[in-house]
Amino acid sequence: MTSEIEPSACSCDDGNCACGTGGCACGSGKCTETIGDSSDQGPEMPDLGQGWTTGDLDEEWEAHAEEKLETVDFDVELGVEMSRDAMRLARGELTEAEFHDKHHEAIKAEFGIDERPTKSTPLEATRGGDGNALPGVPAVEGSGLSSRRGLMKAIGGLAATGATASVAGCLDQDAGGSASATDGDGGDNEVQMGMVIDTDQCIACLKCSEACKEENNTDRGAQWMHVFRYEEDEYGETRAGQMPRPCQHCSEPSCTYVCPTQSRFKREEDGIVVTDYDRCIGCKYCEVACPYGVNFLGKNEPTEKSPGFFGSETDQNDRHVGGPPPAGVMGKCTFCVHRQDDSAQRGTTACEDDCPVDAIHFGDMNDSESDPREYLRENDEETRFKLLEQQGNEPNIVYLGNEPSNEAKPVDGPYTYEDVGLETLAEDGGDD
Amino acid sequence: MSTGVLEDRVLYPLENTSRRFYALLAVFVLTTILFLVAWVYQLNVGVWAATGIGDWGISGGVPWGLYIGGFVWWIGLAHGGIAISAAVRVINVDRFAPIARVSEVLTVLALSMAATNIVLSMGRPDRIFNTIIWWPATVHHSPLAWDIAVISLYLVLSLTYLTLSLRAEIAAFRDRLPVHFSPLYVLLTLGYSTSEDEKIEQILWWLAVAILALVPLLSGGVVPWLFSLIAAQPGWFGAAAGAAMLTESLTSALAGVIVITAIFRWAYDWDDVIDERIFRDLAIVLAFLALATIWFTMHDILTGVYAAPTNIGALTTAMLELSFFWLAVIGLVVSVVALFVMIGWPEQFFSIPALVGVSVILSITILNKKVMFVVEGLMFPTAPPLTNLYPTGSYSPTLVEWWLFIGTIFLAGFGFLVASKVIPMVELDPEEVN
Repeated sequence: MTSEIEPSACSCDDGNCACGTGGCACGSGKCTETIGDSSDQGPEMPDLGQGWTTGDLDEEWEAHAEEKLETVDFDVELGVEMSRDAMRLARGELTEAEFHDKHHEAIKAEFGIDERPTKSTPLEATRGGDGNALPGVPAVEGSGLSSRRGLMKAIGGLAATGATASVAGCLDQDAGGSASATDGDGGDNEVQMGMVIDTDQCIACLKCSEACKEENNTDRGAQWMHVFRYEEDEYGETRAGQMPRPCQHCSEPSCTYVCPTQSRFKREEDGIVVTDYDRCIGCKYCEVACPYGVNFLGKNEPTEKSPGFFGSETDQNDRHVGGPPPAGVMGKCTFCVHRQDDSAQRGTTACEDDCPVDAIHFGDMNDSESDPREYLRENDEETRFKLLEQQGNEPNIVYLGNEPSNEAKPVDGPYTYEDVGLETLAEDGGDD
Repeated sequence: MSTGVLEDRVLYPLENTSRRFYALLAVFVLTTILFLVAWVYQLNVGVWAATGIGDWGISGGVPWGLYIGGFVWWIGLAHGGIAISAAVRVINVDRFAPIARVSEVLTVLALSMAATNIVLSMGRPDRIFNTIIWWPATVHHSPLAWDIAVISLYLVLSLTYLTLSLRAEIAAFRDRLPVHFSPLYVLLTLGYSTSEDEKIEQILWWLAVAILALVPLLSGGVVPWLFSLIAAQPGWFGAAAGAAMLTESLTSALAGVIVITAIFRWAYDWDDVIDERIFRDLAIVLAFLALATIWFTMHDILTGVYAAPTNIGALTTAMLELSFFWLAVIGLVVSVVALFVMIGWPEQFFSIPALVGVSVILSITILNKKVMFVVEGLMFPTAPPLTNLYPTGSYSPTLVEWWLFIGTIFLAGFGFLVASKVIPMVELDPEEVN
């Protein structure tokens, strides 16, 4: 048994093989023989080519595979979970060390031994046997002063005076780590989750706002997903439009720059911008620095709309980032981060799921095969824009349709928040 | 007046306590208790429920209000206070020496009150030390981290300055100081010998130079940068904010020093200790500082209404419709006119009570300007098209907010009251005794 869980057996060079365990719960047809008699009749594993994901598998084949797995003596759930993670490893969303570490306990429990290295040096973690960086894993850190962050560093050093800054610089090397807001410097994230939102498709039904509230159990008055409904004058004609607005999960998020505790940070693994609820001091600087107005301070005022938050509150690095913010700390759209850390729901968000007209397309904006990128290609005739692009935050929401003009005026849509049992606090000027 | 008499007059409050003092002490103790009650209330219900602040965006709130405006105001007083004291030492104008100590104590107290206002505005004040824990990692990018560095640096500099300047004095007059503060005096004069006096004087001079050099960079830099770097709020974004804010800070600081010095002068009959000529000279400086504040305001308006980018133009127009803005303009103009009349015809118009009155008006006006600067920027946030699509923000401070902010003024007063019983509030020359 032990020989099969040697790390050497797991090295993945491309998207084809996603092995990883002794029990071998591989997604790839190449490995199925280890399950048992492969001569069984059943649908063939379709050839999906390189770069496929579980979403591409047809359900029939998956059911067949699961049925086969029932016959083995090993923990099937663990196997399935590990193979999903192995695919993430192949896509570069996980490092090898993280992958090994994640299932270390479970593997030990199942097989009594796990000799795969869980604490490897960064060099070992990011390089394959031949010394090349694994696919999708950045081998070098972000560049010096070219980014806005680099400039901020320079000014910060100036303000703190030379000596302190250089000391701080050294400390930063140690203190930063994966917890640092410098996670995935700027837009260098290999995986950058984002959305393509088709405003022409959108019917302003507010289903996304409603789904978000139910899923994330946000406070009264907080709409992490808000839908603008507006009118504007277009050469004498009145044009109506609508524009859903989640957090833009920017590549240069001004909220993370100003945060005095690095509670607001950009996740290295998928570029999602979240808040560490256990560290945030509630200074509201992130809210002030965000040009999109997506932040809502936690008030512990849940609504009747949601029975509670049932996702994981902590992410894979054990930081408290999921669900509604506790009272006094800042919250905002998390791209349903609890779903992204759960293999069964990965790649989905509540708003996308509930959109009746398929206007929201969520996925990795850096992956040309992802749903949003494909949607962009399919609709290459349509105009597209990013909101407030001149602000330099490099948002990761791409809108299809016409951008609201500078003279656009808000109007009531076919549904108001009251219609769907939600409310905003605008009437009484914020808080009461 | 002979030196011996001066000493007697300055040390009088340390040797004797009047009934008036106890009455004032009772008032300050009461206000402190009320401050704590209000704070406990705010901690219990949460800052979002106890105050008028809210989320900008669809909620139409303003996330920063009186507390942050108050923080900027206190910081201005603090930086200006130490700058006045340092200037007196560096330029070596002995005539102004009697106001140096008051300025130094004001700096220490004002810095503490600035920090208090920040704590008041936080959603989770119990986590304040997270800013220190993460400082080494955040100082690269967070203006708030720079600010923590600046406030700490100023607190260290001003406390060092105050302590060093007190050593010789306390050693010389030790037998005339209150016995119950002996441990403090022992600590302050640890290892003191008269041979250090000359060195200490040199150190103080260089400290003063350092403080003066840092004022434009820190008070006219880091604090305004908290706002002017934030591109998301067009009302704040800009390069001249530093210079304008520094001028306002110095104006309110000088006004504050005038008010506090006048109160001490009146309370202890120090007419002979603090000469009226000092107040006349301060009035001249204050007049020109207030004039410079008007000058900056004029720049703001002109660039905002003449062919400005659409949203800046709209923002300026909206500002011109705020009654608070016109209150500030009236406060500034009335003060400047009054000050120049006092300077021009001192025989007819100059009096210390009148100067104190104008100083109070200027302090309140600057406070109004700072709070308005913070709030107005957040009432008209972000850039079009979002500016139009979101509701305009609204904000009015609650009673709790008012009380807690005004409470910090009372706390500072309490601090002065205590300080007047511990250290001489006017610098004495120990060499006269030795």
